[in-house]
Amino acid sequence: MKTFVRQFLRQSLWTLLALPALARADYSWNFPEPVTPIARDTLKIHNEFMLIITALFVVVFAIMIYSMVKHRKSTGHQPAKFTGPKGGLQWFWALLPFAILLFIDFVLMGIPAVHAIIEMEDTKTKADMVLKVTGMQWKWQYEYPESGVKFVSTMSTPREQISNAAAKGENYLLEVDNPVVLPVGKKVRVLLTSTDVIHTWWVPQFGVKRDAIPGFLRETWVQIEKPGTYRGQCAELCGKDHGFMPVVVHAVPEPEYLAWLDKKKAEAAAAAGSGDRTWSKDELMAKGKEVYDKQCVSCHQANGQGIPNAFPALAGSPLCNSEWQTKDGKLIKDSHVDRVLHGKANTAMQAFKNTLSDVELAAVITFERNNFGNTMGDMVQPAQIKALR
Amino acid sequence: MADSPFAPEELARRRASARRLAWLLGAAVLALYLIGLFIKR
Amino acid sequence: MSVATTHPGEHHEHHPSGILRWLTTTNHKDIGTMYLTFALIMFFVGGIMILAVRAELFQPGLQLMQPEFFNQLIGVHALVMIFAALMPAATGFANWMLPLMIGAPDMALPRLNNWGFWLLPPAAILLTLPFTLALFGIGDGAIATGWTFYAPLSVQGGIGVDFAIFAVHILGVSSIMGSINIIVTIFNLRAPGMTMMKLPLFAWGWLITAFLLIATIPVLAGAVTMLLTDRHFGTHFFNAAGGGDPILFQHLFWFFGHPEVYILLLPVWGLMPHVLSTFSRKPTYGYTAQVYSFIAIGVLSVIVWAHHFFTVGMPVPALIYFMFSTMSISLPLAVLFFCWIATMWRGAMSFETPMLFALGFIVLFGMAGLTGLVLADVAADAQYHHSYFVVAHFHYALFAGGIMGVMTGVYYWLPKWTGHMYSETLGKWHFWLTVVSFNLTFMPQFFLGLAGMPRRIPDYALQFAEFNAISTVGAFILGFSQLLFAYNIWRCVKGGEKAKDQVWESAEGLEWQLPSPPPYHSWETQPEIK
Ligand code: HEM
Ligand SMILES: [Cu+2]
Ligand SMILES: [Cu+2]
Repeated sequence: MKTFVRQFLRQSLWTLLALPALARADYSWNFPEPVTPIARDTLKIHNEFMLIITALFVVVFAIMIYSMVKHRKSTGHQPAKFTGPKGGLQWFWALLPFAILLFIDFVLMGIPAVHAIIEMEDTKTKADMVLKVTGMQWKWQYEYPESGVKFVSTMSTPREQISNAAAKGENYLLEVDNPVVLPVGKKVRVLLTSTDVIHTWWVPQFGVKRDAIPGFLRETWVQIEKPGTYRGQCAELCGKDHGFMPVVVHAVPEPEYLAWLDKKKAEAAAAAGSGDRTWSKDELMAKGKEVYDKQCVSCHQANGQGIPNAFPALAGSPLCNSEWQTKDGKLIKDSHVDRVLHGKANTAMQAFKNTLSDVELAAVITFERNNFGNTMGDMVQPAQIKALR
Repeated sequence: MADSPFAPEELARRRASARRLAWLLGAAVLALYLIGLFIKR
Repeated sequence: MSVATTHPGEHHEHHPSGILRWLTTTNHKDIGTMYLTFALIMFFVGGIMILAVRAELFQPGLQLMQPEFFNQLIGVHALVMIFAALMPAATGFANWMLPLMIGAPDMALPRLNNWGFWLLPPAAILLTLPFTLALFGIGDGAIATGWTFYAPLSVQGGIGVDFAIFAVHILGVSSIMGSINIIVTIFNLRAPGMTMMKLPLFAWGWLITAFLLIATIPVLAGAVTMLLTDRHFGTHFFNAAGGGDPILFQHLFWFFGHPEVYILLLPVWGLMPHVLSTFSRKPTYGYTAQVYSFIAIGVLSVIVWAHHFFTVGMPVPALIYFMFSTMSISLPLAVLFFCWIATMWRGAMSFETPMLFALGFIVLFGMAGLTGLVLADVAADAQYHHSYFVVAHFHYALFAGGIMGVMTGVYYWLPKWTGHMYSETLGKWHFWLTVVSFNLTFMPQFFLGLAGMPRRIPDYALQFAEFNAISTVGAFILGFSQLLFAYNIWRCVKGGEKAKDQVWESAEGLEWQLPSPPPYHSWETQPEIK
């Protein structure tokens, strides 16, 4: 049946459509190559099950088609009158399929399935390291708790490619600015949570898909067997840009991983240090634009106009054009800074103090107050943000 | 197949019992719904 | 051998004419017609929405719409197809056919019946109104969470969610009223001598559906009410920060949602033996086994719900329990398949349109069942879940199982309803176009899912382009083929060859003893079953 399907699809492929994309024809018919024990197991189970159900399908419908050919009125077949099994032999033949099905369900499919579940859920034993994954609209934050490294990973495909204004790159929609790096051969315990709605972390080649649920911690594990770049996507509808929050994992040998980790640590230290000095307005504006284009643009748009009735405009917004602290330096509730730091409950506006550094926050707020026609003219310094933490 | 005339009182009796059962089922639905609202987390 | 006793002369008809007739009618045939018409219209509404989606998915990149709008279309498509097309179609069948089949003069509660129908159009309007309101700058469009309303995404959503919540409430009330009516009609108005074990299987299928609706709709209503209070009245049922749990919503939703699948399918399973037996000219095989299978599926359906969200992370025993309970549904389902095929076995088959649709149904629904069996496997489901594999699977269940089942019934009973034969040629064209384009649409989606394409995304990576293009071509052929269906029905209502009372030569059952079309009031004298 499968070859039939294959042929059928190929045929319609070449005859129905003359898409230029077809020339590439690198479509696949099954799971992508597995690179973890779980994924290998899953692929094996999947292949076996597909064989089983294909066999069931063929047998059952062969009988039906035989009947449709043989027992037709046009060939003068006289209808029988039976309405159920009669006698031991008939009962035997009637019950046999169910015995077989029982065996298939609970033994042939059931036993490997139970083993796979137990393996899949074994997140706690012999874990070499922990990776914490936090889903947020619409990006992933990765944290290495043991070494304190933490960063946000956003899709890096330019919007022009999505709107067809530019040619699409090879990894269209499946590329990010900061990929997660993991060592090959280590058992990584992956902890998942979310800051807003439910997301699902999925890398097909790992055979792993687990929800990231706000307010709860869920876990799974991966042990990557082969160096490479593995790509996946968020799998739970999480709002507007659900289709645009890819997962990219670089699996590298351990020494390389450790070197990368050191580099990240150094970067973090440098960033923390830069928060202590006073920044000039130009510096803040430049940095602010950079942050805005990554973190804010998907909702509030490049021109700061937002999307009517869904995401408010920043251009001319009262929030961006009013004081954010009282005379004696207290944070005003529901002011610009308060909103960016703490978000707004039950909306896509998240509490950015969890994901952005003092510098980034100060910069992006300054940028928003002095752009899109907003002319507050003031500056927010990283140190001020730090004091509010 | 013989036609037995359908006595009006028989129909009335059946309709009444149908209505009783309907109210009962309606009450069951309402109960289910209300119980649900008391779920606490 | 028409034994129908109607007395058009003696019986004074008081029903008003024109629009008022339809607004005030308590006649089961009128109401059945309205349900079916409504379902057909909404089938096209839901279809147009998803054709827009498929057009967007024809190529990578965003061509026609923004992601926000895309998300609205998929969710409303599903809600419309399920609640406003498939369910009303099944209720329409019940209204038209149950009284005829069990020898009742009408439904037991005719006024409730009228009310049940007239709740539907307002609900459909509520569901789709936010699209229009957005055009006038009110709100940000319809519900954009998919049909599953998952919190907290639905807590975050705009007024579309509130509209959908109210629509679901109204649709739920309507379904419950319909169900109560069907249950009491079957229990109280059967012809003398028709014991429960002589009840037509169609009535049995619907009886179980009705009980499932009564058991699960209140839970759905409760869940969306909690959502409403979370949204507007400061409760925290689904908000962890306030001590709630987002996963609770999924449990409540799928406690309704899984039985809902059987709610949609049981009436069709009830119908199948009638059609198969008619066109095989042979009595139904395994009547009792089918009745008990219906009951078993009804019971099992309410204890397997968590297989819809294995990936949320559950304790191992829970995973194993939900996996095996789900797999066990395959047994009663296999009984049904066995009985269907055994009914055909050694019959004298002919292949009129209803029979073609029934056979198409069996094969394609078989694929839904088999892929469902592997979906129950937790580890494999970690790959399938939320991918296009699932989209393909449930369209084999809901389109090939549900909609094609309904089409079977429509072709089977249309001559009875209208008194005219439909065009067999058009019917066959409709069948073949539907089957071929259906597979062209949904078969590639299995492969898309395996290759790793998530569902509910408006744009996709380049390796998914070929299959998506094929699927879109298939969907458009599928969509336009349905115009043939509408046209065939229209023609048949308008006129055509006169149908015999017995329409199909070896059809069994009381409904075939009435004239085609049956008089406005049938079975005023109840037939007796021996
Ligand atoms: C012309 C026929 C149909 C076509 C081409 C079609 C196509 C689709 C597609 C492509 C999606 C997936 C959208 C996405 O996840 O990105 C979808 C979703 C869905 N469809 Fe259909 N469909 C059809 C008929 C039906 C029918 C008859 C039903 C049910 C009675 C149905 C029920 C659903 C459901 C439940 C969803 C899931 C929506 C969600 O993600 O919340 N569809 N349909
Ligand atoms: Cu998502
Ligand atoms: Cu289910």
